[in-house]
Amino acid sequence: MLARALLVVFRKPAYALTALLVALVAFAMAVWMPNLGLIAQVITDPDIALSKKIMLPVTLLFSISTNFSVLSALYTIAIPILFGVNVAMMIYYLKRRIGVAKQSAMNAGFAGMASGIFGIGCAACGSFLLTSILSSLGAAGALFFLPLRGGEFGILGVALLAISIVLVAKQIQNPLVCKS
Amino acid sequence: METESKQTNLTIPIAIVVAGALIAGAVYFGNRGNGIADGTQPPTAEAGNLDEMRPIAKDDHIRGNPDAPVKIVEYSDAECPFCKSFHPTMQRIIDEYGEGSKVAWVYRHFPLDNIHPKADKEAEAIECAAELGGNDTFWTYVDRLFEVTPSNNNLDPAELPKVAEFVGLDVEKFKSCLASGKYAAHVEEDYQNALATGGNGTPWSIVVAASGKKYPLSGAQPYEAVKQLIDLALQEK
Repeated sequence: MLARALLVVFRKPAYALTALLVALVAFAMAVWMPNLGLIAQVITDPDIALSKKIMLPVTLLFSISTNFSVLSALYTIAIPILFGVNVAMMIYYLKRRIGVAKQSAMNAGFAGMASGIFGIGCAACGSFLLTSILSSLGAAGALFFLPLRGGEFGILGVALLAISIVLVAKQIQNPLVCKS
Repeated sequence: METESKQTNLTIPIAIVVAGALIAGAVYFGNRGNGIADGTQPPTAEAGNLDEMRPIAKDDHIRGNPDAPVKIVEYSDAECPFCKSFHPTMQRIIDEYGEGSKVAWVYRHFPLDNIHPKADKEAEAIECAAELGGNDTFWTYVDRLFEVTPSNNNLDPAELPKVAEFVGLDVEKFKSCLASGKYAAHVEEDYQNALATGGNGTPWSIVVAASGKKYPLSGAQPYEAVKQLIDLALQEK
């Protein structure tokens, strides 16, 4: 069922391209997140050559191999891919069934992305978003008590996105019927 | 069909409950821990100001020529695995740029004691090494500490005197210095300065050009990224 739905959607190049672009943007944002200030500073500096403005953000993408644990690198790659697939499938579904779209699949997708974002960053050394949120809640030592130091949110994100994809696939495969 | 619909409808509430339970558990255990009691908080993502960086002074620990046009101020946590992996990157930078006196490396402490409670004492140990052996011993102690620590708060505190012995320090004097806690305030001062500059995780580095222009760099970034920033800073007059 899932494979058939994926085939139906991604046979069309526009949807494959959409998934790819969304995944690339989400991945880049996740990896750049701790250094968005630096990237903005370099890009807006009129004294810096264009080639250098392009090279630095590209080079920073390789921090996926230096600034992430194996686990966090895996879900930092998995979440954008699943999110891209999810978005493309939702667009496909919504374009064909406007007005009867079920909210559950979309909710799972966005909850998955949100949860994944919490876990993104350097969980071992002060996860970027999660630490801030927990600090504002007064949970100073919370990360120390999480076995994966916040990586739990990344895993939850992958699971929710996977659920969302399965739900959307089901909707795509189910023909529209009038229920009694 | 109805059963399937019910299952689908239950998925979201279950997911929300799981997420809520995780956050609630984190908050509960966090409040139970000693992080609140001692008034320390993990760094937050609040925007800091790079100009708040404490000026580089003689009492800083500097590797390379202190008059180099570009200085990299690194705020580091001895128990952070990414500081451990970033350390050889910085050593390579100094190997390449240090000889020409183009870059100097300034080491400051940023122990994230809420996730690495042992890092505070390790930072003090590094300061004791500096007191007893001078600047070169400071650096050999840091190099060795990053070699032996498994990171993530897993270093046996008994290793600290062993590292002192390895770098040629008087172990008894070292133990006495460490037990005195005399550098706790200095470590805290570094920590607060890292926060003030916008540090929200480790390693947190600030590349300072001769003109005073500063570039923030968060995390264990690849050698090429650090090199590009240095080259940008070297262009600054």
